[in-house]
Amino acid sequence: MAVIEAIATQYLEADAATVTFSGIPATYEHLQLRASLRSTELVNAMRLKINLNGDTGTNYSNHNVRGSTTSATAYGQTGAAYIQTSDGMHGSSLPAGEYASFIMDILDYANTNKNTTCSLMAGSALLHTDRRVQFGSGLWDNTAAITTILFTPNAGSFSRGCEFTLYGLNSA
Amino acid sequence: MAAFTVIDHTELGAAASSYDVTSIASSYDHLMLEVSARTDNASIWDDHWLTINGDSGANYSSTQLYAVSATVYSNRNAGATKIENLIVGGAPLAADTFCAMKLWIPNYANTTGYKQVSAQCAMENASAVDATWKLATTAGLWDSTAAINQITLTPKSGGNYIQYSTFTLYGVTGA
Repeated sequence: MAVIEAIATQYLEADAATVTFSGIPATYEHLQLRASLRSTELVNAMRLKINLNGDTGTNYSNHNVRGSTTSATAYGQTGAAYIQTSDGMHGSSLPAGEYASFIMDILDYANTNKNTTCSLMAGSALLHTDRRVQFGSGLWDNTAAITTILFTPNAGSFSRGCEFTLYGLNSA
Repeated sequence: MAAFTVIDHTELGAAASSYDVTSIASSYDHLMLEVSARTDNASIWDDHWLTINGDSGANYSSTQLYAVSATVYSNRNAGATKIENLIVGGAPLAADTFCAMKLWIPNYANTTGYKQVSAQCAMENASAVDATWKLATTAGLWDSTAAINQITLTPKSGGNYIQYSTFTLYGVTGA
């Protein structure tokens, strides 16, 4: 058995309002999601929203460190209806072909003794004048095993060409 | 050959004062450690202290970029007896909430260079109040050319990692 297995990949052949991974088995120890992201919204960059197991209640928190100029900033949010990145997605005002990179790790996603926490890392537009990088974390205040992950852009739709791959990491 | 191999996976069935892996084979190219843990420290703040090969000499350095509020800070130290600034949270965190850390040790078995460590740490919490959460990215150095065969994590507080904390150590192989 491979330690890292690709659970599913979604490559968007057309714009899509959301992307969902469902039926995630509880057989792995950790999950990792790698994505290449761009929105149809006419902005430079935007947030990515993440919901778990279909929960849209105010049960999420997130914290982020973000750099886009010569100084860095940080912020925290709680009582939110989703985990969100600080940027992490490109908008359509950037040159065509520029997609942001995004990595999310969810440790012990199936451990029902723990709330779900995740680590986030994103980088944007390294060839463009508006460059942004962020790392952060998210919390879902629930101990249920993760079976579904929903991604939604803060505005617009995911652009054609976005790609999401969900990996499972074994521990034995 | 698989790129990733599980060297050790430990889920604590009871509180433990450290996580220690010995006899790490030198047959991989890199090590990756994923930790989901919290401690029983009475303060919300704690840290993992990382020592290598049982070395308790003043042979470690670390540099950290971190935030606990809207301001982002950095700090560093040298001549330390462990790699510091690897964050983890204590008892005041929201119930059932564990902290995440991914730590890489590239080229850990080489015997010509000192050992570099990089880590991304998140002390998540159901709170946006300043200093009740923390994010950090940390670089560490062990000032030794010895191949790494042991890594030890210990809570800075002197307390314990609590039950259900998990530690997964992977060996990563190049082609």
